Amino acid sequence: MQSVVTPTNEASARDLSRPRKLQALGILSGFTAGAWLGAAEAPTKLVSVGVSPIVISLIMVTGVFLARWSVPALILGTSSVRADLRRAPHLIIWALLAGCLWAVANTMTIFAIRDIGLSIAFPLWNSNSLLGILWGFIFFNELRQAGWRRWTGVLGGALVMCVGAAFLAIASSTQAPAAHSMRGVWAALGAGILWGTMYIPYRKAYLSGMSPLSFVTFFTFGELGMMTALAIGYLGLLPLWHELKSAQDVLFWLMLGGFIWVIGDLFQQYAAKYVGISRGIPLSNTNQFWGLLWGVFVFGELRGSAASTYMQVIGGSLLMMLGVGAIALSSAASKEQAQWQEAARRESRRYNLAEDFVEARMQGKQVAGEVRPSRTVWDWMLVAVATGVFVFFATMARAPRMSFHGGPAVLLITATLVLLLVCGTTLWQTTRFN
Amino acid sequence: MRPANNREEPRNWLSRVLTDLHFWIPVAVLIGGLVLLESIH
Repeated sequence: MQSVVTPTNEASARDLSRPRKLQALGILSGFTAGAWLGAAEAPTKLVSVGVSPIVISLIMVTGVFLARWSVPALILGTSSVRADLRRAPHLIIWALLAGCLWAVANTMTIFAIRDIGLSIAFPLWNSNSLLGILWGFIFFNELRQAGWRRWTGVLGGALVMCVGAAFLAIASSTQAPAAHSMRGVWAALGAGILWGTMYIPYRKAYLSGMSPLSFVTFFTFGELGMMTALAIGYLGLLPLWHELKSAQDVLFWLMLGGFIWVIGDLFQQYAAKYVGISRGIPLSNTNQFWGLLWGVFVFGELRGSAASTYMQVIGGSLLMMLGVGAIALSSAASKEQAQWQEAARRESRRYNLAEDFVEARMQGKQVAGEVRPSRTVWDWMLVAVATGVFVFFATMARAPRMSFHGGPAVLLITATLVLLLVCGTTLWQTTRFN
Repeated sequence: MRPANNREEPRNWLSRVLTDLHFWIPVAVLIGGLVLLESIH
């Protein structure tokens, strides 16, 4: 009998292929996140003056704050943020909490690098991906009924990436371990635990149907608030002000780093939404690899190093790619996705959310009858103000004198922009950024 | 079907958050992080 493709058959075929599309989209988002989070390190490398690490972090977070409001306003308009807020107001608390966790973790990394050097600190806090797998399994039904092959792919991939990260960190390390080694180890482990736990609110938000573009706008209040409190608490208001004034030449570069970081983090949020935290975190942890590419090829960081250092870089990069490949090939099958949906239903019941809305958003769709968000004059004003602030600080910025190779920089910028274009277009076509 | 907009009283959704076990894990980790930060600073 000849098969007949009816509109109903076509629709059900589309429904069956959608989870696969979303998985591929999540993996692409994770990989793009790694590239942009790694590129965010480039402007900060231009800052070589004696600015306190806490002040560096605070200025970056200020750039992050501006970007976290202007980018969503530009893409969807703040009306979508307000609509999400009305549907799931409880997520404001979760977003603030996640922002606070990020700020404390980021500050801890500064102390970790100071005390034990990047080579030991980075692999220690990169263990956040293993904690993410644990939280994903316990709280959000990730990797449930996934089978031993997917378990091996995800857990094995994350472990291999940690080993690769260790090689890259050793190769890129320039600091000798200092006297307070145990203190540094605790700081690095603490940062890993805080960052790994930060993904609980992320996943919570996306199982409740919130758009990543809305979540980050409230996340940033926690981030900026906690970072400001830490900076004032540790430095004092007047010394902080003096440091900011003396660093006015480099404020722009740090804020630019924060802006680029937000683009990477947005893709990381989409990865957490569509492939879960157990797969999304390790994929976006490839930022270390991209950061090293910038350091080695653009800023000439390993020039004159021993052959063993280059072997470590090559070996570490290959291991990272191997881990990424293993995770990317272990996407969730239908049984595991049914478990995710059960976790989403649990959230809907607890927080009194419309199940059809949550279901639609998990599929990257709008619910029937939902009004499409639109941009208003306030959104354009928000974008204009943020742009104005960046332009103002750019006029004060001074280009530092340091080794900079334009050719590799153009290549890396092109690769990063291509990933942005491909992933952004695919997200738009598949989900309209829902 | 429930409406897409959740117009509950703030007290309701706040109590749902505060009685959610998931909420207290990040809170405990954040408090632990602040204590650790204070001790290593």
